[in-house]
Formats: sequence, structure tokens, C-alpha cells
Amino acid sequence: MLAVSRLRDRASFMRIYDHFMPRLCLYLRGLGSPDAVAEELAQEALLRLWHRAAQYDPQHGAVSTWLFRIGRNLHIDRVRCEQGWVQVLEDAVPASDEDLAHPFSAAEDYAEHARLQRRIQELPAIQARLMRMSYFESKSHQEIADELQMPLGTVKSHLRRAFLRLQGQIRDQP
Amino acid sequence: MNPHHHLDPSTVVSYAAGALALEVAIVAATHLETCAHCRGRVGEAERIGGQLVEQQQPSAADADRLADLRASILHRLDEAAAPVAAAMARGAPYEDDDRLPTPLHPYFGTSYRSLKWRWMAPGVHCIRASGTRTGTLLMLKIGAGRSMPVHGHGGTELTQILRGAYHDALGHFAPGDVADLDSDVEHQPVTVPGAACICVSALDAPLRFPGWLARKLQPLFKL
Repeated sequence: MLAVSRLRDRASFMRIYDHFMPRLCLYLRGLGSPDAVAEELAQEALLRLWHRAAQYDPQHGAVSTWLFRIGRNLHIDRVRCEQGWVQVLEDAVPASDEDLAHPFSAAEDYAEHARLQRRIQELPAIQARLMRMSYFESKSHQEIADELQMPLGTVKSHLRRAFLRLQGQIRDQP
Repeated sequence: MNPHHHLDPSTVVSYAAGALALEVAIVAATHLETCAHCRGRVGEAERIGGQLVEQQQPSAADADRLADLRASILHRLDEAAAPVAAAMARGAPYEDDDRLPTPLHPYFGTSYRSLKWRWMAPGVHCIRASGTRTGTLLMLKIGAGRSMPVHGHGGTELTQILRGAYHDALGHFAPGDVADLDSDVEHQPVTVPGAACICVSALDAPLRFPGWLARKLQPLFKL
């Protein structure tokens, strides 16, 4: 990432592109974008990364976080057509970089990344399912409750536990 | 302002995932404008989102299509960047006493002074936002020292306190605090003496009033 910011190095950007382009397309299609729209939005997200790499501070958050935000906002803007939503997200989001409590060094960032990856893989099945329904299908608590015929309070408590587990704040048995 | 009552982690996750109903997201964003703690948590939930996206395994079937897209982006790297929309004025929201929190501007305007309150019940005034589709977004002004009818919730109620304060079985709620309640909670807020309590609430399902009088009134107020 440093190489993209400082040298505008095409080869290094294209390595990021090759890794994330298929994954962003998959994410956007999952949210309900038709194939062609998903491709267009994913291209747009990556192009923004290229153009704004100078503003991107590698000390804060991973490239994946940044691309997730942009992809999500582009999707909501285009597909949900709820004007208020993206404004609402963008109002709150710029500050969240500054507020991220732990500016990691590259080595710590990598360790943190690996830890989060492992915790995601170790989530109990039901918590993993509800996280996927939230992130990949953008279903609200109530929609999840209706679809799984689960009390609303149970949906919220699974999501709460999943978040706290991924943060390493609680450990319960899978 | 240092809020003591925060968003539930399940609300933080759905906010970051872009999965909250619009009305609930607006109230959550109103809280986030004043709460560094919750902004940090949203950042962490977005990191989880980024990691989930990265962990997906794309199939190899799209290789040809991806090669075309790759060629097309290589051509576009030399294009000038589209101008970035100027960042919104984000001034400290509560320094100007009359300024409403930014996420509420499209629905309620920019200032407390120009709010057009409508009478709802003795001591209670409200404004219902137009332009939202799925749930209810409501600004409430409750006179000092009043108690609201006991009520539960069919779904989620998210309430951000803007001015004044109230207490209920869950504690004391002052400006900056958010009450993130679900269907398990039945409560009776009582506003503190001194000043009217102004808050903004999102409901994604009708309230439930156990009392017969409140239940009779409910259809009149479309709650």
C-alpha cells in the first residue's frame, strides 16, 4: 500500500486489483446487484482507491476495510436508492478512521489481521450465519428474525456475541 | 458531551453492514455524530466487513471476464480523478445551541427554532418525518416532569436524547445518550424537572401499550 501511495506504482496497485476485484464483484452480486452493475461498481471502487491512494493512510485500517466501505456505499447509493442512507454513512464514516483506537504498525496490523481471520473461522455456526446475512445480504434484524422464525431478541443476542467474540472480548464454546 | 448509553453491538454490526432500516440508521448516525466510542466500534465492524469480503473464495469461472475488466482499468489509470465532492460541513454539532444534528437535516430541517411541533397528548408534542418508507421517524418533545405511558415494542426502538433528560428502569438518559431497545423491554420514561426533553426516535414496528387508555389513543397517533 505504501508503494501505491508514494510511488503510484502500477504493478503494486494491480496486485491489489487482482486480489480484490473478484471478491468485490462477489460481494456486490450477493447484495443483489446484477452482474454488470456489480462489475461497474467494483471497478469504480478500485479506481477510487488508485486516485485517492495519496489520502489513504496505511496506518489506519486495512485496504479491505476501505474497499468494503466504498463498495457498500456505492451499492446503497445505486441499488437501494435511499438518498439518506449514504449521506448518513458518510457523515459518520470519515471520523471513524481517526477514531480507530489502535493505529497499528505494519507488523501489528498483520498480526491483528490474522487474529481476526482466525476468529471469524471459529465463530459458532449460527453466529457466522447471522453475520453473513447482515453483511452479505444486508438483512435487518427483523428480516433475519422473520426468515429464520427466531425471536428478535435472539437475533440481536447472536449478533452481539459474534461481534464481541471477533473483538476477542468474550470466548464461549463454539 | 460524553455519552453514557451506547448503541448495542448488534446495531453497530448492522449499521456497518448497511443493513439497518433507514429510520434506525438515521438515529444511529445522530448518536455517532457525538460519540467517539461508538464511531470506533463502527470502524471495527467495518474491518470485520472488509475481512469477510476478503475471505470469500471467488470461482475461477470468471477468468475471461476478469481479464477484460483488468485491461479496461489499466487504460483508466491515467485518467484524471473525478473531483471529490466537498466534505460536508461537520462543525461541532452541539456548539451552536440551535443547530440540529446533521443526519436529521433532510428530515427535520437545520434548527430547533424552526421546528413545527404538533400537539400529540397533554405535555407531548411531536413531528413525524416524511420521506421515509419502511418505519417511523419521530421527533418528540415531552414537557418537564412528565411520565409517558408504559409501553413495549413490537420491534426495535432507537431513541437519541437531544435536550433535557429522562429516567426509566434502564437508567438516566441525558443529551448524547441513546436508548437501544428491543421487544423484550417494557418501560415508562419520566422526564426530569426543569426543561422539556427533546428526542428523536426510530421505530421499525408499532409500539405496544399495555394500558387500555393508551391503547385506545394509539390509532389516533398512528404509533
